Amino acid sequence: MSLLERVVHIDQTKAWYGEIPIQSRYTVGIAGERFFREIKDNGRLWGTRCPHCDLIYVPPRLYCERCFAHLEEWVEVPTTGRVHTFTVVHLDLDGNPLPEPRIVAFIQIDGTDGGLVHDLGEVDPEDVCIGMCVEAVFKDPAERRGSITDIRYFRPVR
Amino acid sequence: MARNRVAIVGAGMTKFVRRAQETSKELAWEAASKALESCELTLDDIDAVVIGTAPEAFDGVHMKSEYLSDGCGGWGKPVIRGYVGGGTGVLSVIQGWYHVASGLFDTVLVVAEEKMSACQPHPQGAFITIFDNITERALGPNLLWIFALEMNAYMTRYGLSKRDIALVSVKNKRNAADHPAALLGDPNITVEDVLNSEVLAWPVQRLDVSPVTDGAVAVVMAAEHVARRVTNKPVWVEGVGWNLDTAYWTNRDLSYPTYVEEAARMAYKMAGITEPRKQIHIAEPYDPFDYKELHHLEGLLLFDKGKAPEATALGITQRDGDLPVCPSGGLLGVGNPIAAAALMKVAELFWQLRGEAGARQVPGQPKRGVAQAWGDLMQVGTVVVLGI
Repeated sequence: MSLLERVVHIDQTKAWYGEIPIQSRYTVGIAGERFFREIKDNGRLWGTRCPHCDLIYVPPRLYCERCFAHLEEWVEVPTTGRVHTFTVVHLDLDGNPLPEPRIVAFIQIDGTDGGLVHDLGEVDPEDVCIGMCVEAVFKDPAERRGSITDIRYFRPVR
Repeated sequence: MARNRVAIVGAGMTKFVRRAQETSKELAWEAASKALESCELTLDDIDAVVIGTAPEAFDGVHMKSEYLSDGCGGWGKPVIRGYVGGGTGVLSVIQGWYHVASGLFDTVLVVAEEKMSACQPHPQGAFITIFDNITERALGPNLLWIFALEMNAYMTRYGLSKRDIALVSVKNKRNAADHPAALLGDPNITVEDVLNSEVLAWPVQRLDVSPVTDGAVAVVMAAEHVARRVTNKPVWVEGVGWNLDTAYWTNRDLSYPTYVEEAARMAYKMAGITEPRKQIHIAEPYDPFDYKELHHLEGLLLFDKGKAPEATALGITQRDGDLPVCPSGGLLGVGNPIAAAALMKVAELFWQLRGEAGARQVPGQPKRGVAQAWGDLMQVGTVVVLGI
């Protein structure tokens, strides 16, 4: 064994610093292209339906993972859903306190078999509950970039 | 040891392209569903799934096979991923084989996928740790160094010229012109084109190298009793072998791939092959670089050391030669989506042995073929022998 435990200052051990120099370019894919265009251009959510398994996938998928069918039936789905579960985040990735706690929820989209993970807004953490009805709040059309953050957050349905 | 007989009964692949719009999952699904369609099976008929995919960094997703699993038909099934870098595509078939040979499963869907275009600015960034982090990385190595050093060692040991080696690139890119899924097929390419292409790291030039590629390939493997029900042309896995040399490239023979020979000997023994040069009718050795095809043909014991270039010059390895080599067009012509490229070689043998290779069909009704891949830290050989 080395005597590493006796090394008080880590820079006393010989080391070399490097990185794996890559950046990734993720295409949104065939199904994702249409999903994000609808969000950006129309502020709407779409899913794909598997007629064999009677499932509506949100986000939409090109194929059914259960039966492998090519999914070609696109259906507009509501921009509302229910909080399936949620958490209140207090620290950022570096462990620093956030200025405001952030509420992150998995939202089951109404009438579908899927949903989205997103922020909840216009609500205090203590008022959030599982099963709560929420709706998507989109950014102004001019601000949308064809990204999941084109939805600003979900808020309680009043 | 008692083993069940295992056959490949279906195969499918995506087009190999430079930049796919599809997500990695969508590519995997396309190949996997084509493979199932080819043998008229559905996902319900599949007992287990093997996913072959190489470095996580290419697609930019850690736990890559878990990410890919729904596109590979893994929902609600036993799924496993094997990984030996570039050798992965053939290893995945070996894994599929022992899943079935062991009696554990009757049917296995084997899917290999790679999306290298996601990796920016170039996939070689993901390969950087192929060099030793302490003794080599500080020199700022480029991925091509290792191949250039190896190619030069091979050329010098056997007194080969660049022209001898360029013939492989010409052959494979011409063969690929007949492959409907190929990225770089070119029926008119010449040796001069290769010799006049840009020098990347001497002796490696642009056209000595396979391209960065996106794509996926899948095969369906089945136990004998299922295989005979599914098809009247099962292609049997007769032998499998794999072997690793030292991970230190500074401690191995760069002019001869001993690890390929060891893997081949293991596979040949299982297949009952005592004279590979007579008993192997068609070969798909791994050819990410033109010299590697020659290197690997020698490791596969199909030619004497240093003699594969001469055989190439004599036309023996042409599609209509005595030993057709890379009739698919290989990685140099069809493309090199790492794990998928090696599985493409297995799929090519499947189509060739069944007489379904279309314009690529080698004459003479070949009965047995060998596919081989290479990778990891450039020190692994993976081999399968298929026969009808």
